Amino acid sequence: MPSDIQKFESDALGAIAGAKDKSELEGVENKLLGRKQGEFTSLMKGISELTAEEKKAAGARLNELKNKLTEAIGQKRVGFESAAWDQIAEAEKVDLTAPSLPLKKFGHFHPNTLVQRDLENLFTSMGFAVLDGPEIESDYYNFTALNIPETHPARDLQDTFYVKNPNPNDQTPSRLVMRTHTSPMQIRAMQKYGAPLRVVIPGKCYRNEATDVRHEHTFYQFEGLVVDERINFSPLKGVLEIVARHLYGEKTEVRLRPKYYPFVEPGVNGEVTCFNCGGKGCRLCKNSGWLEIFGAGMVHPSVLLEGGIDSKKYTGFAFGFGLTRLVMLKYGIDDVRLLESGNMKFLEQF
Amino acid sequence: MLISYQWLRDFVKLPDSMKPEEIAEKLKLSTVEVEGVESLGAQLENIVVGKILKCDKHPGADKLKVCEVDIGGERATIVCGGSNVVEGMLVAVAKIGARVKWHGEGELVTLERATIRGVESSGMICGADEIGLGAMFPKKDEKEVLDLTTVLSLKERKPGLPLSEALKLNDAIFEIDNKSLSNRPDLWGHYGMAREVAALTNRKVDAYKVKPIKPGKEGIKVEVENPELCARYMAVAVGNVSIGHSPAWMQQRLSAVGLRPINSVVDITNYVMLELGQPLHAFDGKVLEQEGKYSVGVRSSVSGEKFISLDEKERSLPEGTLVITSGDRPVAIAGVMGGLDSGVRISTSTVVFEAANFNPASIRKASGLLGLRTDASARFEKGLDPGLCKVALERAVELLLEVSPEAKVTTKIADVVAVVGQSRIFEVEAEFFSRQIGVKIQKKTIVDILERLGFSVKLDKNLFVITAPSWRVRDIDCPEALVEEVLRIYGYQNIPGSLPGFSILPPLENKLLEIQKRLSDTLVREIACTEVYNYSFVSPESVANLGDDISKYLELDNPISKGQPFLRRHLLSNLLENIKNNINNYSDLKLFEVGKKFLPESSGLRARNNKDELLPREVNWLTAVFASKKKNLFDEARAAAEAIFRELNLEFKLVAPKKIAPWLHPSRSGDIMVGGEYVGSVFELHPRTLKNFNLDCAVAAVGLNLDKLSALPARGKKFEPLPQFPTVERDLAFVAGKDVANAGIVAFITEQSGLLRGVELFDVYEGANLLPGKKSVAYRLTFYHEGHTLTAEEIIGVMEKIKKSLVDKWGVEFR
Repeated sequence: MPSDIQKFESDALGAIAGAKDKSELEGVENKLLGRKQGEFTSLMKGISELTAEEKKAAGARLNELKNKLTEAIGQKRVGFESAAWDQIAEAEKVDLTAPSLPLKKFGHFHPNTLVQRDLENLFTSMGFAVLDGPEIESDYYNFTALNIPETHPARDLQDTFYVKNPNPNDQTPSRLVMRTHTSPMQIRAMQKYGAPLRVVIPGKCYRNEATDVRHEHTFYQFEGLVVDERINFSPLKGVLEIVARHLYGEKTEVRLRPKYYPFVEPGVNGEVTCFNCGGKGCRLCKNSGWLEIFGAGMVHPSVLLEGGIDSKKYTGFAFGFGLTRLVMLKYGIDDVRLLESGNMKFLEQF
Repeated sequence: MLISYQWLRDFVKLPDSMKPEEIAEKLKLSTVEVEGVESLGAQLENIVVGKILKCDKHPGADKLKVCEVDIGGERATIVCGGSNVVEGMLVAVAKIGARVKWHGEGELVTLERATIRGVESSGMICGADEIGLGAMFPKKDEKEVLDLTTVLSLKERKPGLPLSEALKLNDAIFEIDNKSLSNRPDLWGHYGMAREVAALTNRKVDAYKVKPIKPGKEGIKVEVENPELCARYMAVAVGNVSIGHSPAWMQQRLSAVGLRPINSVVDITNYVMLELGQPLHAFDGKVLEQEGKYSVGVRSSVSGEKFISLDEKERSLPEGTLVITSGDRPVAIAGVMGGLDSGVRISTSTVVFEAANFNPASIRKASGLLGLRTDASARFEKGLDPGLCKVALERAVELLLEVSPEAKVTTKIADVVAVVGQSRIFEVEAEFFSRQIGVKIQKKTIVDILERLGFSVKLDKNLFVITAPSWRVRDIDCPEALVEEVLRIYGYQNIPGSLPGFSILPPLENKLLEIQKRLSDTLVREIACTEVYNYSFVSPESVANLGDDISKYLELDNPISKGQPFLRRHLLSNLLENIKNNINNYSDLKLFEVGKKFLPESSGLRARNNKDELLPREVNWLTAVFASKKKNLFDEARAAAEAIFRELNLEFKLVAPKKIAPWLHPSRSGDIMVGGEYVGSVFELHPRTLKNFNLDCAVAAVGLNLDKLSALPARGKKFEPLPQFPTVERDLAFVAGKDVANAGIVAFITEQSGLLRGVELFDVYEGANLLPGKKSVAYRLTFYHEGHTLTAEEIIGVMEKIKKSLVDKWGVEFR
């Protein structure tokens, strides 16, 4: 009997190992372990002829054998199944280096929109409202109310587009201009909302100058105004430092220099550490290490007055970024005219 | 404006160890924009003064000469093509090894010994532009070499003397941005700038020393008709003057800051102007003589007056222009330019100097109207200190007597004063400065800074009494301006930034910008549109191409080019230009712009606070355009509109436009209505318009009024309970007349059964296999009963009823 078992075992294992596919394995399984006619079943039947003691030993041996065969078949089956999955997987293989097809077309925001939104988000997070204002302004809002009277030399600083009066019969018509800056909105905001006030105004501005690589008659500014109690020069610098670091990183420093704007006193222009060279000096910053990106100052008392603000109680600061300049710096655009060219080869880069 | 560093050193003692660049940096950080510092003579190594001893024709070339030149203890033979070389002339000689720019062009090259047409030449006689002195000595003739004969003073006429030494080119020139000086009239001359430099370097500026004029006996009459336009007018005559070249030192200084020497008197007026910032004028005394006496008038011009100015142009004087007259005849445009026949010439023997103070606004206006900007007008229009007239006049006379020693002051000094000795006093609490700056600054520091700048300061308990000096009266116009003075000298870099203690208040919402963002996001992300920014200006051609009425457009008074003088009423025309410029590279384009359009016929915001006058209306608008060479594009534009209103959670209807604008496709255009209000339109462009714009593709567009959309009440979403029983869907396809509108069909079907929860068009077909005038449509019908699961029989019954009704109503055929 034991020698029979021995032989049976090695034959059976050989047959299992020799099965070529899943159905052949099923045949072998049936032949060996089939409930009715399986060879193992016959072997089990042979036990009944043995003595009780022999039965016990042979029973244990056979049980062990059965487990061994079941396991071998199981393993073989898993092998076949995983080979089948492998085959499926192989057949379904994708080219990882190919793009998704059909190619989808995407839209693009204008780069100015991207930079403007970034700044809007920064300022709204600090509690600034975002305002929009008219692009045709009266002489009063664009100049006079900003402490730039008719005969003021500062009017020469800005070449102005004038608009023909649509109603020539008006008795006292204001001179209409294409706004030369977003600052008229300082007055409108103060008149409308009073103090305290915290606003930014992005917007399109116009100056009558010939266009070239660096000049454009239509451009964008980003203006800010704060009117509150206890507002002075130090928080002006603080807020501008926040913006500079937001734009160009934590190590960015702000340098202020005196600059004359009639509507602020003191007035400064603001430079930040050149992000390109880290302040060492390069072509971008004309070897100065600094990039001029904004003008700012404490709101002039006569501007507060025009805005209807009690300048005994409130003070304010204002700042204006050249949004167009920020866009050009951020993306390294070397020709300002591209921005309003409508050229798709340019726009689809953003 | 150019500022000479050495000239500054006339008035403030700066040690040799200090570099001009340091001063420039200080000025930049605290005062004005210094755009550059140029060291004169930096490239003049190995270039010396030479004297031409002999000058012969070149044996082998007509246009060349062979010169024997004394270059200090040695003689050099130099071949030269200069048109003006003559024996005895003092010239600039570049020795072997010097670096020069051939004919003033290209890179610097190092000079080597050369043989020119058989003659060995050891050096070069230079033109001014070949050694970087072109600006200082402009050429009159292309081939001319720099003639130093009159330029150098006697002791410098030494062959072999390094040129930089001979021309005193140890100077550095600051290039200062005039715009950064527009509020500082006191800085328009070297003395004023020196005063500023002294304050910045904590030094004392030297008192301006000038000899008083020893007046003559003759009278000189000055009559000022408009004292409000002429605060002061001083004049004096100097007789027996001989006019020639000004001294070399003066010519060199003038040249160094970019002014061409002309003659001794003109040079003196310019020199004093550059030194003190006070423009002067010099008349030929003869012209001012009336009945044996010098007589000058100041008045406003009357209508139709003409005047020939120094630049030989006849000008019609705008009425009210301030003029200087002699016997009522204008001899100068006050503060702007002199007359052609009243100026000083070589034959002049009596010079009348004018030192006046004119009203800045009046000068600015005159110079603007005349289109004539001069060094004088630039200074007067900033508003000068009337006190300057006296020193300037004294200085001019002093210099003239120095240059022309035999000359003599012949008249008394006329001085008609309307305003003088202005000062401005501010009483400011001591705390004011720290409160405005946000940092505590010592009283002592404040006093020190202000005093350095020429202010006088008294501290009365806790009150500063501050008097601005006469030269700062104009720009220091409020206590805040004093804060700037303290700040800029104290140093902006010494003020730490701090964070403002804002109250926590959420910002006001801006619905317009919110809508703009959502619509742009939808168009870019969902519809794959690209955003463009266009000019607000349009050309008359593009208005004509649209077929629009040009008289409805606002027009610029002073457009940059004749090309785009009108303000857009539509975003469309520039977008069509964008398509034209891009369509050759793209099979289809989807572009949009958000911006303002300008409608003069309606009113916008107030032009002035508390006044009735209103600005033209500006409407915030969005236009998206879709262009393709192939497709029927209306649906593409409609899909964009649908995406937008899905985002806004609003329902819209397209209805036939009330008025068909000329650029609209007459049968492919619809007004977008939301709750009965017009908010925009979806349309294809009229083929004629496309042709006008030279477009050979189809174009459709969506236009939306953002002002109206942002004013619509927002509609939120509301949860509906989920269906308890299954819904049933059935499709219904039939052929109907083309003119049976979808909305009518949907409404009609919906009426037929209370079980219907949805009727949705999902296919339309027109064309082959259908009779003309017919369309095949397919609808998906959704049924639902809230009480039980619908049975097949129920559905069949309803479907039959719907079919029958459709046949009865429109005679549709089922497929």
